[in-house]
Amino acid sequence: MSAPPGTAPGADATSAAPGTPVAPASPYPSGSPDGSPGAAPAPYEARPLRITWRKLTLLPSLLVVVLVSTWLWFRHAELDAISANALANGQVWLALRQHIALTAVSTFFVLVIAVPLGVLLTRRRFRAATPFVRAVANAGQATPAIGLLALLVIWLGIGRTAALTGMIAYAVLPVLSNTMAGLRANEPTLLEAARGIGMSPAEVLTRVELPLAVPLILAGVRTALVLNVGTATLAAFGGGGGLGVLITTGITNQRVPVLVLGSILTVALALLVDWLASLAEVLLRPRGLEEGP
Amino acid sequence: MGFWDYVGSYRERLLFDAYQHASAVLQCVVVATVAGVAIGVLTYRREWAAGLATATTSAVLTVPSLAMIGLLIPVVGLGVAPTVIALTLYGLLPVVRNAIVGLRGVDPALVDAAKGIGMSRARRLLRVELPLAWPPILTGVRVATQMLMGIAAIAAYASGPGLGNEIFRGIASLGSANALNQVLAGTLGIVVLALLFDAGYVLLGRLTIPRGIRG
Repeated sequence: MSAPPGTAPGADATSAAPGTPVAPASPYPSGSPDGSPGAAPAPYEARPLRITWRKLTLLPSLLVVVLVSTWLWFRHAELDAISANALANGQVWLALRQHIALTAVSTFFVLVIAVPLGVLLTRRRFRAATPFVRAVANAGQATPAIGLLALLVIWLGIGRTAALTGMIAYAVLPVLSNTMAGLRANEPTLLEAARGIGMSPAEVLTRVELPLAVPLILAGVRTALVLNVGTATLAAFGGGGGLGVLITTGITNQRVPVLVLGSILTVALALLVDWLASLAEVLLRPRGLEEGP
Repeated sequence: MGFWDYVGSYRERLLFDAYQHASAVLQCVVVATVAGVAIGVLTYRREWAAGLATATTSAVLTVPSLAMIGLLIPVVGLGVAPTVIALTLYGLLPVVRNAIVGLRGVDPALVDAAKGIGMSRARRLLRVELPLAWPPILTGVRVATQMLMGIAAIAAYASGPGLGNEIFRGIASLGSANALNQVLAGTLGIVVLALLFDAGYVLLGRLTIPRGIRG
């Protein structure tokens, strides 16, 4: 699926990830809503809050309201045999757990594959491979997720493996291009300086390049997570489980309660994951990269 | 049956699905562009309004498309309606965001100069600001189109139009001789359409981006 955020073909520095502009603009947004005030903090002054209260409370309270009202509606809903069957025996919990597991596992593999590959492809030795990678990335963006998944199901058989492979293949590209864009955007003079003070290539990478690229890599992680929550709904078509099962059961059997429950849980999970990732994005950003004077 | 034999013998059905796919995506992109640019124009001068527009549209984009379609079915039924609504909503974000970024990126001195030679607000917007903001907006439209190509395939599950039907036919007949051909035809068809649209946007950019600001 293509769920949401794809990467801009022309502007891979700024994927359509929630929170970054889809524009050939600078990778660092000029005004972050939770950035610190302009003045340099005095050494013993309390550090400014990185996260505002509104950001911390708005979405969770919204989700609580939605979930509680769904629950209240379900307590009084009249379920016929088919609906009751589809929801009985903890199947809703099972679907939710499967969905979370699919998302977590695929995101883990996406990171393990995409970040090292991004580092490798930005080394001087592999620079020649860049146009090739870009061509593959563009073709990959154009491939519909459901088609990719269906092909993998035919190839690998029904089940979790096919679903996971499809999800990973689909999310690797945005994270890879974010990582590469992040490493490329580093100021060459800084790398020069790091080499100048006698750092080995490995030290330059781990102590200068990667920390500087953290914001963009984190944006890529967020993109991957949100994409994967979405693609995981398609796992249902290949026998991979997840909340998509409830949605597809609801559609094929024309049972609105099942359909709505599955959809609402999926939406809530997606928004929650995005919110958690946005918090991580703020908290894990190196202090030195925060907007200062 | 080989793939090309399959394509040959079902040529008409495939062409019809491809046509419907392209036409659904195109129409939704046009609506999303008009609405998105309008939202951008209305909000870009106020910080809170622009923030609200971007936050809302990006929240929409976070919602998985199958769930969005699932929530639309009880309201508008199966078929074309949920497809069109979902596609238009998903298409909004890239356009709105890039319209705001683009309009804000216009050099204030130019707007001032336009005011100085006596242009009204509407004329400034139409003759100066929007033409200058057009390249990023066009990028947004391109991103939106590529995304909608894939989402339209999923909408076929809710009886929507297009090549997604071919993919779901294949999934429904897993194990049969033609399953692979059907899925492959649907998937490759969408890839080809996406590439054709992309080429179309390059051409459109050539024709519509003012000569003075071409890179």
